[in-house]
Parts: sequence; structure tokens; C-alpha cells
Amino acid sequence: MEVLYDRLNRQAFGLAYRILGDGPAAEDVVQEAFLTLWRQAERIDAARGKLSSFVLTLVHHKAIDALRARKGQVARQLSVEVADVEKTGADVSERVLQSLNRDEIRAALAAVPDYQRRPIELAYYEGLTHVEISQALDLPLGTVKSRLRLGLEKMRTALGIGQAR
Amino acid sequence: MNCDEVEELIGAYAMGALPAEALSDIGEHLAGCANHPEAAELRAIASALAFAAPEAEPSPALKTRLMNAIGAESATQPGARGRGGILAGLRGLMPQRAVPYALAGALAIAVAALVLTNVGGSDEPSATAITLTGPGGASAVVHVLEDGIVVMEADGLEPLEKDQTYQVWAIEGGQPASLGLLGPAPDGEALGATRADLSGVDALAVTAEPAGGSIGPTTDPVLLAENLTLR
Repeated sequence: MEVLYDRLNRQAFGLAYRILGDGPAAEDVVQEAFLTLWRQAERIDAARGKLSSFVLTLVHHKAIDALRARKGQVARQLSVEVADVEKTGADVSERVLQSLNRDEIRAALAAVPDYQRRPIELAYYEGLTHVEISQALDLPLGTVKSRLRLGLEKMRTALGIGQAR
Repeated sequence: MNCDEVEELIGAYAMGALPAEALSDIGEHLAGCANHPEAAELRAIASALAFAAPEAEPSPALKTRLMNAIGAESATQPGARGRGGILAGLRGLMPQRAVPYALAGALAIAVAALVLTNVGGSDEPSATAITLTGPGGASAVVHVLEDGIVVMEADGLEPLEKDQTYQVWAIEGGQPASLGLLGPAPDGEALGATRADLSGVDALAVTAEPAGGSIGPTTDPVLLAENLTLR
């Protein structure tokens, strides 16, 4: 766990801080995430790419829960069970991430036009649902749905994934 | 939910930007429908956003708090099976380590994939620990657990290119057999676990190989332990 912590703490804390904007709260989230990982250790695949995805998924979910609680929003009940994380495409993301570096992921996000990136950021960094995004941006729900999808597809293209389709 | 409805929501689904019930409905649909091959990719890209946030340094105290919390939890359930059983077993294997429970946690993760669900009922494993050393200051410890599980933790490795990997070899009578791949070790560390019978093995070695591994070592070992006498 110590090895894993040393490897991932900056990324984990960076993500929690990006979501919460509050150092102590972000540290609480990181600690909780690693404790959850430790408690579920016997159920987690040893593959390291998957582990980093798993840790960051835990951090993300816990940070969003904390953010929504702080803002008095209804909890999203984002699951932090291993089985659910496995289902979220961690296998694919492991392959994706093994062949990419963080700069490429950042560049791909930056390549998405503002009007599509904003809904993605609200969904990811603020944990908003599509209905909440449409309210926050004063956009029709259908527009939010399509911009989320098109934005992700732009990232996919920028990352050079799945272009055969 | 039908295919059209799923397609309409697939971006929001990938982002997790739907109420739990809708996420679950779509997940169920995708599990039984081959019409949405992009769903997994979009979901993976959404999860890759975790790596888009800028890194930041937490306070050093966080690590201390975390390790203390893990220590406190493991102390309250020393005899528990499952996690506690694995950790308790591994903890006993590494009395020389400064932070044994922390290392045991990392190793338990590696072991977990192989042990999977059921270690209950068995006695705590006994083990052999083999130290591998290398010319560049790299080192590794291989733990051979009684039930055939082999765990390697390596440190100080030279990071390899993306199209290379470290590969572990068991050498018996001059014949190398692959024990598995450790990846390119981008930060110089590697953790791997496998199930293998090392009885009769004379040496363990780690070499740099093309990604996917080689049939036999093609480079000089970066880590080596020789003259082993393993039961």
C-alpha cells in the first residue's frame, strides 16, 4: 500500500483538489480512497494499470460525494465497489492509458471545443447529472446529451482510439 | 430501455451523468446488446479524465495518517479471514521490514488476484524470500508462498520504453522458463504475482524484453539471484 501510495498520491490528491478546491478536504478523500482500497484488497486485480484507474475512480467518486454533500445536493450514490469499477470499462481504460500519457489525455480534452468541454467538465469535476448540467448551462436537455457524446467522441478521435468505426 | 434510447444517452452514461437507476438500466441493456460497441470506449475515455487533472502534492502528514489508519484497522482484526488472513500471513513473512503492514497491503493486492475468493480455513502460509540484485542498484524481493504463489516486488529499475517490458525468469539446469512480465516500470518499480513451482530452480533473473515478452532471455539480466536451493 505504501508503494502504491507513493506512486499515486500526487495524481490522487491532484484530482481530489481539482474537484474540491480545498486541501484538507481533498486529503480526507485521498485517505478514504486508499483505505477503501486496502479494505477491498483481496478483490482487486493485481494489474497495475487497473489499480491506478481504480484508485482514481475511488478518489473521483468520493470527492464528488463530498462536493455534493457540501453543496447540499442530493448524493449521487456513486458506487465504490470493486465490481462496479470493473464494469466501468477499466479494462479498456487500462489499455488506453498504457499507450497514452497524461499530456496526451490533457491535450485531447483541450482539443474539445469549449461548448462541448464545459458539459464534460461539469459532469466529471462537479458530478452533475445531465439534467443538472442543462439547468446550469441553461441548455435544452437534448443539447446536453449530444454535447456530452460529441465531446467524448472528439477526445476519442484526438487520442486515436477506435477510428476504424 | 431500447437501443435508440440508449444511444441518445450514451454520452451521459459514459460520463456517469445520469441518476443511478438510469445508469443501471443502460448497463443492463449494454450487457446483453452488441449494438453499442462505442459505449465501453467512451466510458474508458471518461475515466481517463482522472488523469487530466493536474498533479498536486499532499502534505507529508497524509501518508502518516493513512498508514496509521491502516495499522489501526489491521490491529483490530488480526484473526480475520479473507483480507485479514492474507495480510496476517504476509505480515509474518516480512519481520525485517520497517512498515510490515504497509508492505503486506501492497503484496496482498498482488496476491489477491491469484488467491481470489477463498483462503479461509487454511493455515497462514509459510514462505521463502529471495533477494535479487542488479548492477544498476536495482533490487527485488521474491516471496515464494507455500501454496505456490510467487510475488515479486522490484525497485530501482531503469524505466523502459513503452514497447519493452521486464520479464522474470526461473532458470533450472541452464534452461530459462518465463515467470511472467512486469511491464516497462515507468517509475522504476514493479510488482508482479504468479503461481509457479520453483522447486529445483537454480536462479531467478529479470531481463528487459520486447513488449509481450520473449521465449527466452535476449538481454543480460538487470536483476539476478543465483545458487538457489529451493525445496
